[in-house]
Amino acid sequence: MSATTTTTKLLERVKDLKQIPTIPAVLAPLLRYLEQPVEDLDIQKVTDVIAQDKALAAQCLRMANSPLFGRFQKIDSLRTAILGLGFQRVSDIAMSCGVLNLTPKDTGGIDPVVFWEHSLGCALVCRHFARTISYPDPRKAYLAGLLHDLGIVVNLWSFPEEFRRVFERARSQRIPLHEAEQAVLGFTHCDSGSLLAENWDLSADLHAVVSLHHCSYESSEHAPLIAVVELADLLCRMSGLNYGYLENRQVNVLEQPGFAVLLQKFPALRDFDWARLTFELDSYMDEVHGLVHAIYRK
Amino acid sequence: MSATAAQAVIGFEGPPDPDLVRIRDLVYQVAGIFHPDSKLGLLWERCGRRMKERKTKTFREYFECLTVKPNRRAELLALLNEITIGETCFFRNQAQLHAVRDLVIPTIIEAKAKLPIRRMRIWSAGCSTGEEPYTLSMLLLEESQRRLRDWTFEILATDLNERSLAHAKNGLYGSYGTRNLSAYYREKYFSPEGEQLRVQPVVQRNVSFSRLNLSDDARMTFMKSVDMVFCCNVLIYFDLASKRRVIQHFYNNLLPHGYLFLGPSESLYGVTEEFRLVHLPGATAYVKGERSLAGKKAS
Repeated sequence: MSATTTTTKLLERVKDLKQIPTIPAVLAPLLRYLEQPVEDLDIQKVTDVIAQDKALAAQCLRMANSPLFGRFQKIDSLRTAILGLGFQRVSDIAMSCGVLNLTPKDTGGIDPVVFWEHSLGCALVCRHFARTISYPDPRKAYLAGLLHDLGIVVNLWSFPEEFRRVFERARSQRIPLHEAEQAVLGFTHCDSGSLLAENWDLSADLHAVVSLHHCSYESSEHAPLIAVVELADLLCRMSGLNYGYLENRQVNVLEQPGFAVLLQKFPALRDFDWARLTFELDSYMDEVHGLVHAIYRK
Repeated sequence: MSATAAQAVIGFEGPPDPDLVRIRDLVYQVAGIFHPDSKLGLLWERCGRRMKERKTKTFREYFECLTVKPNRRAELLALLNEITIGETCFFRNQAQLHAVRDLVIPTIIEAKAKLPIRRMRIWSAGCSTGEEPYTLSMLLLEESQRRLRDWTFEILATDLNERSLAHAKNGLYGSYGTRNLSAYYREKYFSPEGEQLRVQPVVQRNVSFSRLNLSDDARMTFMKSVDMVFCCNVLIYFDLASKRRVIQHFYNNLLPHGYLFLGPSESLYGVTEEFRLVHLPGATAYVKGERSLAGKKAS
């Protein structure tokens, strides 16, 4: 059986099993709202949507009280959260809490806490990096960072045994997860994530991030957003916001495809202080760890 | 970090004091040591000690001591001393050491594969009381059972301070400096001496200590053919021009595949265009080479 046939068959299996997690009820309308211009957003509607899911509302409050979201006064209700943090941040928080509930119980050897620490950490680094280089939509960068590894969720649901082998191989050889996926499964979480992105009807730019962040994407019209995620993801994997193991390799950010893509749009990146961004990742680690534990081990 | 310090930095009492953030940015700009938000509490405490000494009450006032008042340079050096105090101990930066063991040493072995002499040379520049060079010696001794079999290695340990060097050569350490030592290393490479631990001769054999002023251009040119330079929390005390001169010496003395390691929160941003920042697992380092052209693909 050729590699292409294997891939096609495995991807067929994803479709047939109907095990792709459905988009959580609360997140679908939130995602739709987030695509609208800010001036069209209805704060009351969002509050109502989040309030329908009591567990989610509680998780949102926990996260809203974190310094990671820039609030230093106690927030005790969704209303206070929206008044204090603004609609957009509360939406980001609700999305973060919502996706955290997506992983199955049997996670094939990958600790779901570690996985979501990476995703939430990547989201925060994407937002911070986007702001630092004056990328026009830091919120989108946050969402893209949060959702970029959705394909891993599919792999955990649809191929738990195979994914256990993938993860063991990646961890023992200390290689990037997508390389181990390619070797064991014949496809990566970009391929399986693309199916989920389609199923969830994600916007074209988020779909592109999920499908292409480990691929050749320079010609994509969404290349700058993918580049932000590619670089933030890489820095997280080389630091304490990894998947529970450190890849044993040497990386020069300036040699990554994402750097070239972003440099075309943001010439100031030529003198960017990558060391400082790396040190700033430290600020997120403890808080991300605490938040994910609090939410996941509820 | 005390509870009060933590709360002052991240808590419900308010966002970080903007003047503390200004001090953080000043320290980074002048010395290249960065305190991320999660470590602002440490800076808060260290400034606090200096503020008590200077009888200043607010960070704003203290910022002025560091920037506009007479003796501002001396005050900055005093603060930097507070920042780096107690930093020295065996196996201080574990992630950096793991990266050296798992990635850098194999890279150097590969780069030197075709050379007739199998020798590795490491320079601990600003070795203080010797914990760093002895740690590197133990790391290489362990590797000499594995990847570095048949290799010889030498560690050149230099410092300006004679008293620190005398302490280093003596090789006797108290509990604070040895707090990170695992039982394995403690038993294998140290002998108890009263309440202290003495480094065994096998560790000392590969380390040569000498006095060197990093600003002494003539003597700096003699530190040739080095595979790795470790210079942690030393450059912070130099002004930009001197820093650039020292870095140029490191550049000239390192072999083409060589690595420069700084302290864990220390950066060369704005100091050199010749070294490239690289990310290693859990650590950063600088390697020789022109800044890459944008668009060059990763190998």
